[in-house]
Amino acid sequence: MSVMDKLKILSDAAKYDVSCSSSGSSRANDGTGLGNTVAAGLCHSFAADGRCISLLKILFTNECIYDCRYCINRKSNDVPRASFTPDEVCELTMEFYRRNYIEGLFLSSGILYSPNYTMELICETVHKLRTVHRFQGYIHIKAIPGADPMLIQRAGYLADRMSVNLEMATAEGLKEMAPNKHRRNILKPMRQIQNGIAENKNEITLYKHAPHFCEAGQSTQMVVGALPESDYQIMSVAENLYEKFSLKRVYYSAFVNVNEDKDLPAVTGGPPLLREHRLYQADWLLRFYHFKVDELLTVDRPNFNMAIDPKADWAVRHLEVFPVEINRADYQLLLRIPGVGVKSARRIVAARRFGSLTFEDLKKIGVVLKRALYFITCNGRMMYPTKLDEEYIVRNLTYQNQLGRGEKLPFLADGTTYRQLSLFDV
Amino acid sequence: MEEKYLICEDSIEGIFTGIYDAYALREGHEHIHIQVGEVDNYRLFADYLYIQPDPVKTDKVAGTLRRRLGEQAYLSICRAAASYNKEEKGDAIYRTVVDGITAGSGSRVMENLKNPYVAKTFELARYTANEAHYEMEFIRFQELEQGILYAVIGPKNGVIPFIMPHFADRLSIENFMIHDENHGLFGVHPAKKEWYLVSEPARFAKESLQCSQKEVKYRDLFTIFHKTIGIKERENKRLQRQMCPFRYQDYMMEFTQK
Repeated sequence: MSVMDKLKILSDAAKYDVSCSSSGSSRANDGTGLGNTVAAGLCHSFAADGRCISLLKILFTNECIYDCRYCINRKSNDVPRASFTPDEVCELTMEFYRRNYIEGLFLSSGILYSPNYTMELICETVHKLRTVHRFQGYIHIKAIPGADPMLIQRAGYLADRMSVNLEMATAEGLKEMAPNKHRRNILKPMRQIQNGIAENKNEITLYKHAPHFCEAGQSTQMVVGALPESDYQIMSVAENLYEKFSLKRVYYSAFVNVNEDKDLPAVTGGPPLLREHRLYQADWLLRFYHFKVDELLTVDRPNFNMAIDPKADWAVRHLEVFPVEINRADYQLLLRIPGVGVKSARRIVAARRFGSLTFEDLKKIGVVLKRALYFITCNGRMMYPTKLDEEYIVRNLTYQNQLGRGEKLPFLADGTTYRQLSLFDV
Repeated sequence: MEEKYLICEDSIEGIFTGIYDAYALREGHEHIHIQVGEVDNYRLFADYLYIQPDPVKTDKVAGTLRRRLGEQAYLSICRAAASYNKEEKGDAIYRTVVDGITAGSGSRVMENLKNPYVAKTFELARYTANEAHYEMEFIRFQELEQGILYAVIGPKNGVIPFIMPHFADRLSIENFMIHDENHGLFGVHPAKKEWYLVSEPARFAKESLQCSQKEVKYRDLFTIFHKTIGIKERENKRLQRQMCPFRYQDYMMEFTQK
């Protein structure tokens, strides 16, 4: 089988893994080989689905002994199977990298024979890439649940980031969907990597040249919409992972019924993209805006409002906080204003030292006034006379959406993406 | 008092020399303007002075800016000086420098967004920085016959000096060059040596360059990868275009070749 055919099969099989970030690690080139890493990460292209292509995202093999119901590579599926050799992976990575096609390698794999056997193959490949080819770019390795802790440890010293997929938000859900996987086996390597990173931090403080262990942290992903979990359940799990497992990122993946499994929900109208989008928005609120899940959702209100974003939704339910005076409010409070992001909040705090800010200044700073104007005052005045009333504000925000001037969604407002008109639509 | 216009060359050197001469006039700053490039409409009651770029004056200004405003603000000013916006950048930078040095905002100058000139410098610098970031992501090198990597870009702002350090570090062991066809400029990096800039030679034709044997193979492999990695059920060309605008796609082989 040619490398071209293998690449086709094994990138097609890897595409449902969401993570493609190349951020979080910053390393200069040492002059002996190719590559460095940039803290902010770089996206080198964008696929037809609008998702970034940063890493050469491939499976080592799509042979698998497991039979997870949501997965295209499950044992019971009759799909073309292929495996790379370590040399082929190294060659592709090096040649793509020097042409600036990619930022590094994302290597995952189906389970060939056993978790240990698979993990060893992955380690061997990446070891070759790092030592023989002296590759110093970004590497993301999937930890295979159930593999020996020694192998995970070894991978951690070769990779910038590692991830173990949680797959389903609840342990029961995982049992139902992936009969060969156990929650315990997923959390174990996750904990090991977390401890490894923490210990490594201490080592590096003591010994400057100590090798780095997963410098860019670890991430995970959950499938959304395959089982009837609520947004509240999913976000609580995410919050737990951030707090108790010190994860860098949690990814959410709108369920695509690739196997047309009759026991899985048929997703009419495509994958639940709007829901996925709301989860990501809330995820950002947790990580950068100091929100707690309990502020956004409760047991009685377990799902996000599809009409307005989670931050605006929080704001209209807490009108007692508003309006906020831009020239006085502290940074934390500025962050809570819809239309004010992390950057604008920082710029506001810095710029108001030079004199009080006006709405005109805020516009230049980058505040989205059409959303913020209901919630702020500059020197005691609102931009327009508006009512501080939940219904009034929601009506205005959603009306803007209908006009196509409101919230910028990454897909069309009816939840579908770009789609060509087919005969059946007419 | 009569307005004075200092006409400078469109380069960091030109603008910095202009700033030096504006201070050297010792007439305050209110009536002095820095204009980059040509003047379209001459005014009747204004004085026009043509400034020749001067390396000594440039170095003095650069040194003062770094010392008094700090590296971050200096970098912002350099980025603004590389902007495509000839009409506004001269005055914006000049008055930002005045705000920082004469009015005393110092290293905090770029935070003073209430000052419209600082806000303009900030905006221009951000545009250059964003475009430089895009080019770092989307540049496509091709291997020429001799094993040299060659990339061509068409940016609006003069981004080459801002992206060369990144690639010089990353591809330290490679011979490579980046060609900005909009500004007629090459960034050249010989393996394991310092990089430098050269202007485009006369009669240079990128079509005459010969690719290496392997080039087509990897180009095809990546184009296939680019196609298979997208999820059909999520197809979203609008988002793709938003994240990677057409003017970059025109230089990326996975979009241009069929």
